[in-house]
Amino acid sequence: MLITENLTRNFLMATTVQENKILILATESCAYPGADSVGQAHSSYPANTYILRVRAPVMFPERFYLDCFKKGISGIIIMSCGEECPYEGAYHAMAKRIDRVYQMMKKLDIDIRRLRITAICTVCNRPFLKEVNMMNDIVQELGPPVLKESQPPVTEQEPA
Amino acid sequence: MTDPKKMKKNKEKSEKIGVYICYCGGNISDHVDVEKVREAAEKFPGVAVARTNSFMCSDPGQELIIEDLKNGVVDRVVVASCAPSLHENTFRSAITRAGANPYIYDHANIREQVSWVLHGDKATYKAEKLVAAATGKAGLLEPLDPIRVNARKHATVIGGGIAGLKAARVLADRGLEVVLIEKTPFLGGNAAGLDTVAPLGEQCSALIAELAKGVLEHTAITVLTRSEVVGFNGYVGNYNLQVKTTLSSSSAFDKAAGHVVPFEGDNADTPTEQNVKTGAVVLATGFRSYQPKTGEYGFDDHREVLTLPEFIKQLSEVNCSGDILELNGRKIRAMAVIHCVGSRQIPGIHEEDENGYLNEYCSRTCCSSILHAANTVKEQFPKTNIYDLYRDIRTYGRGQEELYDRAARNRVVFLRFEAGNSPTVSANDDGSDYALKVTIEDGLTFSEEIEVPVDLVVLATGMEAGDVSDLVSMMKLPVGTDKFLQEVHPKLAPVEMSVSGIFLAGTAQAPMNISEACNGAAAAAVKTASLLSKGYLELDPYVAAVDQDLCRGTGACVDACLADGALEMIDAETENGTEKKARVVPALCLGCGACVAVCPTGAIDLKGWSLKQYEAMVDMIVADELIDI
Repeated sequence: MLITENLTRNFLMATTVQENKILILATESCAYPGADSVGQAHSSYPANTYILRVRAPVMFPERFYLDCFKKGISGIIIMSCGEECPYEGAYHAMAKRIDRVYQMMKKLDIDIRRLRITAICTVCNRPFLKEVNMMNDIVQELGPPVLKESQPPVTEQEPA
Repeated sequence: MTDPKKMKKNKEKSEKIGVYICYCGGNISDHVDVEKVREAAEKFPGVAVARTNSFMCSDPGQELIIEDLKNGVVDRVVVASCAPSLHENTFRSAITRAGANPYIYDHANIREQVSWVLHGDKATYKAEKLVAAATGKAGLLEPLDPIRVNARKHATVIGGGIAGLKAARVLADRGLEVVLIEKTPFLGGNAAGLDTVAPLGEQCSALIAELAKGVLEHTAITVLTRSEVVGFNGYVGNYNLQVKTTLSSSSAFDKAAGHVVPFEGDNADTPTEQNVKTGAVVLATGFRSYQPKTGEYGFDDHREVLTLPEFIKQLSEVNCSGDILELNGRKIRAMAVIHCVGSRQIPGIHEEDENGYLNEYCSRTCCSSILHAANTVKEQFPKTNIYDLYRDIRTYGRGQEELYDRAARNRVVFLRFEAGNSPTVSANDDGSDYALKVTIEDGLTFSEEIEVPVDLVVLATGMEAGDVSDLVSMMKLPVGTDKFLQEVHPKLAPVEMSVSGIFLAGTAQAPMNISEACNGAAAAAVKTASLLSKGYLELDPYVAAVDQDLCRGTGACVDACLADGALEMIDAETENGTEKKARVVPALCLGCGACVAVCPTGAIDLKGWSLKQYEAMVDMIVADELIDI
């Protein structure tokens, strides 16, 4: 019993260390319920996906994405409402910002395929699965990001 | 003024986070080792206590949270359970009942996004991570006060069938102004195509007339027939519907195909549009009857094969005496009825439609309906033999099992078939003058093959979701895998939709009989009335806020702001004299966070969804060493 537990423990340790984490920023009015809909359909998708519910991804500054990569996140999918964004102009502003993030990623030698922007609706089960699997293929191929300059994250460090 | 010390304290990370993890009666715990998640959570920074329960949403589950808050054990709450859309309000109200602020709570979605999509160790690990992220955010949550907005005491019902009529009347009786929008010139919907209704046999037309009269005579209800919703915007309590009417709705009972106005002509081609300002919408858009494919049980190939609605209509027009039923001058000496046509379709057995789709659900009403029709025939025309070919008999509900017993007493002959071995309908070739022959391998007589010569075959066709794709895309409505509109939860929020202020009534939601449609409609109406009756709603206070100490007055946030007037620059008196500072106008702020991204000093953030909280969540997700495996 104990041996089995230890084995499981070691296995999990190994998988966690190697896990290529994908961060998904999912809008609360479209993509987040879309992800729930995938769950309701009991459709499996890779475990290394961490979905954060957001009101609108326009709130994230350029440095947020770069910090995520610096912290070890392997891939980020922005699942927005696309043209159906409830905040007029927010999608456009965010898309422009992501263009700038891509430029910054190039400078830091981060493969720009690690960041993807897409639109997922509340019932877009198939597109959701497609996006997640696509990003998973990319991060499995690339592994965790290795940054050119090993700078600490720009964000303030919280006291331990 | 708030005590500055307290303010300061609020900005620090909480060290008293309570984590409450739900088994969801096996829905979560069958795949996630919940106790292991609890053990891990106990060691997360700032967590004071971690507890588990079979159903955290139950009274004993909520009581765990309330007790810990009341005893001062915790001051922030993380619940790990189903999707937040289901129980966010449940837990917020529990926290409020404990005397705490409802916004000190965050939610980890470990059912829809973990246990329902993953199994085994990976599921447990991911659940731990999501709980860790939620504790990271919870530590930075601050108490907030909700924003109050006016709500119109006005509701719109879309669909003038039985459910729509019922909902409109109940809403008006509760003091709301109501607009009822019906696409066709008639009220009554699909029920208007019925004659008498099971199980009691009352006239459906009388039922519709009574309901319609109550609606048309009510001064608070405006009925717009020949009308459709073509535009939709706004938010709960303040929706705007653009409604297009293609003809004057002066008479809802006008059954003429075109309504000719004297000296004006037919004005069918002069659509008018109007804006309906409303607080909430009840969707009573109904169903459509399944139309068999050509050749399905001989449909279209033989004119003696009818659908159930066609048969009901022909039966209601029968004007013959004697022992044998006559339809259109033809004696029906023997007839067969076949159950489950267009329902309970099985992949690999039944033929998919052109989109590769099958109706895998049971339509629930056809068994009772066809047996009611069989009894009507047998009790009036006892010498018409009826053969009932069924897979299963599902005459559920009060007074409905009796329909089956009565059919047996009326000498309806029951024959049973398996889904993979359906009966066939073909032209009769035995030399007799029966038009059709039905062949079945009868499970009740040990799979004996039986051939029955008949004059008529009636297909018990089921219900399909009505085509409301325009409303679905306009209002962003969730649709189930069966294509019917989907409620938030079948038990906990059975008439609510995930879009706040939109409710479901009747068969728009699922196949149901008239009683159930009326139950659903009344429930939706009462829910709508209770939402709007106060005249105001409390909305989440997720708006931007400026830290005046950090603001350098660059004005970048004002430039980035997407809502006119939501952010402005003011002259503020500081210890350095007069300085430019940004200020938020909460009533106009959309809470999108466009300003947050552009502030060079991080002075502006979104209440309840702050950038700092997201950064903390990411930190927890990447911090493997925090997880005790």
